[in-house]
Amino acid sequence: MPGNLDPATLDLFLAKAKAATIEVVAVENIHNAVDYAIEATKRAEFGKLLPTGGPPKPATGERRKTLAAPALSQELYDELAKKGEAENFEMIRSGLREYLAGVDVSLTIASMGIAETATLIIENEREDDRLATMICETSLIVLPKSKLFKTSYETEAFLNEALGREHNYTSFISGPSRTADIERVLTLGVHGPLAMHVILLEE
Amino acid sequence: MAAETMKSYHSQIQEALDDSFLRQTLDKFAVQYKANRTAIFADMNERELIAEIAAGKDESMGRLEELYAQFCEQAQKKGVIVHRAKTAADANEIICQIAKDNDVKKIIKSKSMTAEEIHLNHSLEAEGLQVIETDLGEWIIQLRHEGPTHMVMPAIHLSRYQVAEEFAKATSQEQDSDIGKLVKVARQELRAHFSTADMGISGANFAIAANGSIGICTNEGNGRLTTTLPRVHVVVAGIDKLCPSIHDALRIIQVLPRNATAQAITTYVSWITGSTNCEMTEDKKKVYHVVFVDNGRTDLLKDPKCGEVLRCVRCGACANVCPVYRLVGGHKMGYVYIGAVGLILTYFFHGHDRAKNLVQNCIGCQACKDVCAAGIDLPGIILEIRARLNEEQGAPLSSSLLGTVLANRSLFHTLLKFGKFAQLPVKSGQYVRHLPSIFAGNQDFRALPTIASKSFRQRWPQLAPEVSQGSVKIGIFSGCAQDFVYPEQLEAAVKILKAKGAKVVFPMEQSCCGLPVEMMGERKAAKKTAVSNVKAFHEADVDHIVTLCASCASHMKEHYPELTAGEGLESQTKAFVDKIIDFSSLLKNVLNVGSADFNNNGDKVAYHSSCHLCRSLGVTKEPRELLGEAGEYVVSPEEDVCCGFGGTYSMKFPEISGELLAHKLQGVEESGAETLVTDCPGCVMQLRGGEEKRGRKVKVEHMSEFLARNLK
Repeated sequence: MPGNLDPATLDLFLAKAKAATIEVVAVENIHNAVDYAIEATKRAEFGKLLPTGGPPKPATGERRKTLAAPALSQELYDELAKKGEAENFEMIRSGLREYLAGVDVSLTIASMGIAETATLIIENEREDDRLATMICETSLIVLPKSKLFKTSYETEAFLNEALGREHNYTSFISGPSRTADIERVLTLGVHGPLAMHVILLEE
Repeated sequence: MAAETMKSYHSQIQEALDDSFLRQTLDKFAVQYKANRTAIFADMNERELIAEIAAGKDESMGRLEELYAQFCEQAQKKGVIVHRAKTAADANEIICQIAKDNDVKKIIKSKSMTAEEIHLNHSLEAEGLQVIETDLGEWIIQLRHEGPTHMVMPAIHLSRYQVAEEFAKATSQEQDSDIGKLVKVARQELRAHFSTADMGISGANFAIAANGSIGICTNEGNGRLTTTLPRVHVVVAGIDKLCPSIHDALRIIQVLPRNATAQAITTYVSWITGSTNCEMTEDKKKVYHVVFVDNGRTDLLKDPKCGEVLRCVRCGACANVCPVYRLVGGHKMGYVYIGAVGLILTYFFHGHDRAKNLVQNCIGCQACKDVCAAGIDLPGIILEIRARLNEEQGAPLSSSLLGTVLANRSLFHTLLKFGKFAQLPVKSGQYVRHLPSIFAGNQDFRALPTIASKSFRQRWPQLAPEVSQGSVKIGIFSGCAQDFVYPEQLEAAVKILKAKGAKVVFPMEQSCCGLPVEMMGERKAAKKTAVSNVKAFHEADVDHIVTLCASCASHMKEHYPELTAGEGLESQTKAFVDKIIDFSSLLKNVLNVGSADFNNNGDKVAYHSSCHLCRSLGVTKEPRELLGEAGEYVVSPEEDVCCGFGGTYSMKFPEISGELLAHKLQGVEESGAETLVTDCPGCVMQLRGGEEKRGRKVKVEHMSEFLARNLK
């Protein structure tokens, strides 16, 4: 439903996202989002979250960049994987537990967005989906503009439905992982991603 | 860390006051927090939201058993094992048993104040289990074997160098003190623990009855990993976390992070329903337990005076704005829970002995009540606890004596007359030269005023004829400080009232407002003075009751209805309370005082916004307008932070009172003001006494004195 979004709500989202150190890009369609993920992975510098700052020395051979997207539909994942493999990325769709040392980038799709807090609502009942958004250095989250609302109360019906299920894990994510526990200095990437990008979809 | 005796508590406080890193950190935090909080609430109706949360919480607590039953039904249907622990020991036993049943060796935890409350780690470790905290601050203090000093920022008292030292020990290698690098060290170390732990223990901010779901707020994301990676998940939550629906949780989330750290929302909020997917178990489902901890909560629920503390959402804002916390830090301002709510919860959860000294350390400035996410009357509950402790353990001699004296007006007034002569040997001009230490030890930070040679009540017969006519009839409630120490402040007020053509009366049967005894927990004396004052003013039949003491005004307005209950004085008390007005509001809003009334000589004047005026009575605009009309009003830093008087508080904690005073006067002196004005004689006593010691760089006046001096 493009065009239904109140421009003031979009502006609010953009302002709050900036305050929450979220980078926002707007693209036409989901294929553009896939391309954005490929470019973001190309740009990714591995090992920023390691204490030493540099990449670990691989035991053998060249270390490949990693792009995880377990929550995408098979069709979309195949499109991503094809492009990623062409770039020699290691593509990950399952078994995220094997990658707890970290992956470079993850791509997922939000169910809804809340403008007043720059929040993305993600359903991640499957362990792999949850881990992908936590163990990556850069988290890319797609949000169709039609799913953006001004307040959290407007997402209540959706949440009630989700929480009403037999089992469910739904997350509000409003920026990269952060802490201010040492001398109140804001530091990103303490347990989760160092950076978060929202890819706003027109369609 | 609860001190056994008041003496050891004082030495702990002195230690904190001497910790320059702590002082600097908390000072910076206090100033930044207030500015950030104001900004983050800018586009919201804060008062309305807080009132909604209070009402919602009260409703939830009123139907707690029903919500608990509903949560159990929903959660159990979804494969969750729900427990209810009556005591801390029961909760620990249940959780240790879950660990045993599931062959757990290693446990990771995300932050839970309830787990701290019940000292869960001790019990788990006693069973030979390895427990790792994963919230960065909690991990740091775990490595140091300390308790938290703030509910949201547990390691706020530590420097990067101290953290680097701990991390070096934990990793057996040297660590840089760069904060970014330290955070990465924690990430790597803790990630390894996450990947090998068998059980995760989390807290919960919400337990939603309608769905049997829980909600957890974190910034770091450790909550998500704790609830995802290990094969067993145990939630530990106070039973007060139950709420009817997601709507209640969403409403609290609008205030909780804003109040805690001035963020619009925490980075992560996780909503967990039922036994979720876990690739580590055979059936690919997580073993999932929820342990509700009672530990005195359902008894507290029935407590008519203190039950509202169960509304607390653990945001920590009461510590963030507390001027005493700012000076001494969390280890001296709570046992497990920190700040105003910490003083209260220590009494209810951790024993009256641990609380008895702590609850004395509230200056009563109302700053916490003003920001509380759930509108809890924290200072009021602290007073109630003091009263109960006096009942239980006997009051200190000094407070019983004061209680007896103040409850008996003629005895009190006779003693004051006697005191006037008794002080002669120690008097030096307007100040007491030195006090015998039995009366006041460590009071050297300020000069104390002497009792006036002629009280206001003695001066009144001469003044009365000058103000016997007028269309508005105003009754003066003098309060002790102005009647006996600063009668000239009331005389100045009468001069202004006369100029504005008001009729003024002074009912002679009035006595102390009763606040000093209430602050000390002497409830009976407080009741007696309240009743006699209501009766005295009922007979006087006035339009307004003006008091030039903000503390008297707020105490009478807030507490008289309750203190006079059962005396058959309901309508008289209501009329009394409704008629009370502060001096600045009376001048601006009733007598229409304005620029035309003053010779403005451009005197540079700073303002100290008395706690009881700006927060209890909500008066902020009128005094500043008056200062601008009668002089040149100069803004000074932190005008609304307590001057450190707090009535008897300054006698009990002179070391803290003196620090607050020094900070206040420093700011005023730097503002370039020649005069400092305030609306409360208690503040005048403190501020003027401090300036006397500092060499009288700034003249301290009551509003009435400054205005009368500049009156046309």
